Amino acid sequence: MIKSTFISIGFHVFFIMVAYYGLPSFRVKEPVELPIDIVEDTPISSKTSLKLGEKKVKKVKKNKKEIKKEKVKKMSPPPLPSKKMIDKKNVELKKKKEIREIAQLIKKKPKPKIKKVKKISIPRVEKKPEKIKNIQKQNLAKGILNTLAKPQKNVEDNKKNKKQHNNTEILKKIKKIAGNSNRQIQQTEIKLSITDINKIQNHVKKFWNVSYAASEVKMVITLKISTSFDGSIKSVKIYDKNLYQKNKFYRATADTARRAVLDSSPLPLPKGKEKKFENFLFDFDPSFINNY
Amino acid sequence: MGNYLNTSFLKVLILIYSFLISNVFAEDIRIKINSGQVEPLPIAIADFTGKDGKANEIGRQIAEVISNNLVGSGQFKAVESAAFIAPPTSPSVRPNFTDWTPLGIKALITGSVKNISAQEIEVEFRLWDIIAETDLIGLRLSVDSKAWRRVAHIISDEIFERLSGDSGYFDTRIVYVAESGPQNKRLKRLAIMDQDGENHQYLTDGSFLVLTPRFSPTTQEITYLAYFKNEPRVYIFNLESGQQELLGSFPGMTFAPRFSPLGDKIIMSLAEKGVTDIYTMNLNNQKVTRLTNSPSIDTSPSFSPNGKKIIFNSDRGGSQQIYIMDANGRNVKRISYGKGRYATPVWAPKGELIAFTKMLKNVFYIGVMSPDGSGERLLAKGYLVEGPTWAPNGRVLMYFKQEAPVDDGKSSNVNLYKIDITGFRETRVITPSDGSDPAWSPLIPN
Repeated sequence: MIKSTFISIGFHVFFIMVAYYGLPSFRVKEPVELPIDIVEDTPISSKTSLKLGEKKVKKVKKNKKEIKKEKVKKMSPPPLPSKKMIDKKNVELKKKKEIREIAQLIKKKPKPKIKKVKKISIPRVEKKPEKIKNIQKQNLAKGILNTLAKPQKNVEDNKKNKKQHNNTEILKKIKKIAGNSNRQIQQTEIKLSITDINKIQNHVKKFWNVSYAASEVKMVITLKISTSFDGSIKSVKIYDKNLYQKNKFYRATADTARRAVLDSSPLPLPKGKEKKFENFLFDFDPSFINNY
Repeated sequence: MGNYLNTSFLKVLILIYSFLISNVFAEDIRIKINSGQVEPLPIAIADFTGKDGKANEIGRQIAEVISNNLVGSGQFKAVESAAFIAPPTSPSVRPNFTDWTPLGIKALITGSVKNISAQEIEVEFRLWDIIAETDLIGLRLSVDSKAWRRVAHIISDEIFERLSGDSGYFDTRIVYVAESGPQNKRLKRLAIMDQDGENHQYLTDGSFLVLTPRFSPTTQEITYLAYFKNEPRVYIFNLESGQQELLGSFPGMTFAPRFSPLGDKIIMSLAEKGVTDIYTMNLNNQKVTRLTNSPSIDTSPSFSPNGKKIIFNSDRGGSQQIYIMDANGRNVKRISYGKGRYATPVWAPKGELIAFTKMLKNVFYIGVMSPDGSGERLLAKGYLVEGPTWAPNGRVLMYFKQEAPVDDGKSSNVNLYKIDITGFRETRVITPSDGSDPAWSPLIPN
């Protein structure tokens, strides 16, 4: 009950946060939304965009440094080119001042995102040498060289790709975190084979001694099991305590199931997968009595 | 800074989410166990302790009766007391479970007997689960010291119910026909005893022939058929008062009268002009109602537990088979289709089975089948096995068995037997003389 409440709270908090940060409409209005107005104006400047493209090519030929600067500007979200086009063509817009302010805001926007990337990446880079210092003292120099080389490359890469992957890097890292966790869950699920389960089933059923009266139990008896790493049973709890109190057939048969689990200790847990069986459920189905 | 915090917070949330998901997945491992063993449960019944010799002796005897009852049910296996590592303890003392686990036992019964007065004793017991290391049930009873055997039966019922789930049947009695004397001058008396054969007593003196006694399902009364001056009469015998009541004289009665589930009617078969049909008689106004009307022999009627159906055997199809019909005699339908002849159908107390006698190739069988005729199982066989009667919990059947006659042509012994419905454990019920036609009582009211 308590566990399920925490799970529910966790889910609720998670989805609220995802909704809050993931859906723009939930956030406080920020300048990001304003460029949409400008985009609406782009049809006016669409005719000039082609010409601007030609001019750009010319500029590339003239000054490479300037191109780099322009590229930096291009790294920002799509609205940027439209502003440039507007500036270069000297189109008379009614809200020139506003556009400039917006442009400034847009330029400012990616910056904190870049900072985030740095702050995430830097600790990772710094942690490695610390670990190496502690664990591998003999290879300290090599470790430092290795770890120094990597951040240098990273820094260089960051400089090159800062303006191209500002937004995507955060998303990628979040995806990595989320993706890895999912993969871990999937991997552990896949690892439990049918033979693993059969081995435990065959072991436990040898100890389940049932009375004929169990045929009166028209349902499955679920037991909560917790085991140690070596397969020994730490605890057995009868899941439906209410029915255990009320139904004498259920109570007697649940007792036989509990005895079977305790008697079968230690369980033959599959090697390397013991953690998966820290907490699990046994479903005892006495319907086989009807065929006896 | 704010954005950094947001991202960190988001990451933490994702980690929490992943952790929770992994926990949910961990709990989702469900292993189904859909087969097991159906074997007698090993138990230990320690002698009930007492403070003096008398109490100790009663305690020892109570433990012995409990052991016999539980082992006799076929569902338990008692470990010999000589193998016990630890001495018997009081039920108020928690046993050292490690002393009992090496014996392979799953449950332990401890108890005590205390003298309250010269005639009254207090018996206390406790049932322990050795594997789960917990107590399952405990009870204290104050009774007359002469009634210690009944206390043992009551305790047996409590233990049986707690360990199997089913109601016990040990605090019950059997009424039967005690037979003695040569075959040509057979003495048949009505007798009653505890279900384990103890406390035996005769109810009639043998001056007239008695047949087919049947217990009332609601009261401590017996109905039986007696031939008085060659005329069949139906009597009701009240066990509490010892009085008998003549229900009526029924010339042509061919088989047993049996009570309805509410005990307000009896159902019987009467022969008239070569035709035997089924009738009911209201015990309040003695009104007789005819239920079947066929040119065949319809006998051995038995009500279903809810009183809505009646089973009986009839030769209307050419051979003796089991039929079912509504309580008013309508919708007659044959349910037995196996080889051989079927007779004496009796509905189980829970209604899920019908016990019967089957005759095939000169061999008699006791079997059970579903009320629709399916799932026929033969439990016992012999030269002559007949007259099944159900224990009140519907798990055990009692019947009588006659051995094949020996070469000198003299009559062979007729004995009572009981068998659990699995058919694995058949035990003889010891009686002072030959016995036939048993009828099992309901649980004795406290």
